[in-house]
Amino acid sequence: MSFEPKILGIACNWCTYTGADLAGTTRLEYPQNLRVVRVMCSSRINPSFIFRAFQLGADGVLVGGCHPGDCHYNTGNLYARRRLAVTRKILEFAGIEPGRFRVEWISASEGNKFAEVVTEFTRQIKNLGPQNKFKISQ
Amino acid sequence: MTSSFKSIEENLKAEAGKLLESGRVEIVLAYGRGYDENHPMPFVAKHPSDVANMVFNEYCIHNLARYLVRYPRGTKIAVAVKAADCRAVIQLIQEEKIKRDDVVFLGIPVYGMKNPKTGEIIDSKTTCGMYNPVLYDVLLGEEVHGQKIVSPYDVLADYEAMDKEARWAFWKKEFDRCIRCYACRKACPMCYCDPCFIDQSKPRWGDKSPQSHGNLMYHLTRFHHLAGRCIDCGECSRACPVDIPLYLFHKKVAKECEEMFGQAAGMSIDDKPALVNFRVDDSDKILE
Ligand code: SF4
Ligand code: SF4
Ligand code: FES
Repeated sequence: MSFEPKILGIACNWCTYTGADLAGTTRLEYPQNLRVVRVMCSSRINPSFIFRAFQLGADGVLVGGCHPGDCHYNTGNLYARRRLAVTRKILEFAGIEPGRFRVEWISASEGNKFAEVVTEFTRQIKNLGPQNKFKISQ
Repeated sequence: MTSSFKSIEENLKAEAGKLLESGRVEIVLAYGRGYDENHPMPFVAKHPSDVANMVFNEYCIHNLARYLVRYPRGTKIAVAVKAADCRAVIQLIQEEKIKRDDVVFLGIPVYGMKNPKTGEIIDSKTTCGMYNPVLYDVLLGEEVHGQKIVSPYDVLADYEAMDKEARWAFWKKEFDRCIRCYACRKACPMCYCDPCFIDQSKPRWGDKSPQSHGNLMYHLTRFHHLAGRCIDCGECSRACPVDIPLYLFHKKVAKECEEMFGQAAGMSIDDKPALVNFRVDDSDKILE
């Protein structure tokens, strides 16, 4: 059987989540591997969410926020950009493939981009295979 | 020229005495005798007569910035600081934990501090490798010159060159040895949160027993919380009873932050901590 990765999506309410909605209402197709959690802003994302997701079995984590300059709270994603850049470096130095974690800016009108990013990211995670390093073995 | 430990001790006693006598400060944080020569301890002087009990030698490694946040805001405190310790105080000022006017920096320029566990000289391999405080009100000795300048990040090369599987194996082995005594957190001047995330039970960020997954969660999150704040004093690693080389990970994060945000922690009281700051033109490249 082919490997179907589990991918956690964390999307901000105002842009990426709405973009995902648009992808849905325009009936774009994209892989079903993504499970989306909605947060009010990309700066709401505690980096520990990402470490924890990998521990609880995620093969990849995709964060989506408004484009810089478009954050509903003006500057949330500008803080998030720095913070999540550090998260990536930490994952990498710990030995996790940095490609398992991605941040994308997707606006409410970019349903197409949402579908493309999810499709492409899912392909990438499939190529990387299952993530077993952080995963808590039961 | 460098001052001898003895002369630094004399200057420390004299300055501390003056500050307490005049009422400029209520407290002086310095070093006192431990159970033997190799184990001096942090020491709090509150009265001019206390200064007679102060010592300074090559084993006075503790970062006394750690104790500043224990006192109520507004307490006037003088603190003896070596180069890295001084950066920790500056960082605490940046984070508005203490006010510049409330602290007197008793700067100690010194080379030749030794790790009491190994007897080795502490240098850029396990710390920031600076020997002169970047900021001081009183300097307790002559500035150190003539030591080789080595980047504190040079020691990372071998680990950066490892392939990711090997690096994971390395860290897994190290973190698995952690007994979760939290000495690293206790020694660190920048670990002042109450409660610490790992002590919370709602939500429970990670298991509290010393098992692989809880250890991983504790350490990775702690490294993250210290990003842009760790001043590379190396105290966490020296405090660790099982000698986990935490400094390597902290250095790596510090290096990346310096490269991405153009600022090292605790170098100037006018800086803002890198992670509670941003620039509109920060590049998206940092996410790649
Ligand atoms: S993390 Fe370690 S090296 Fe960094 S400031 Fe804290 S004790 Fe010092
Ligand atoms: S000091 Fe060492 S053993 Fe104790 S919690 Fe920190 S890393 Fe673990
Ligand atoms: S509201 Fe979308 S990133 Fe802040």
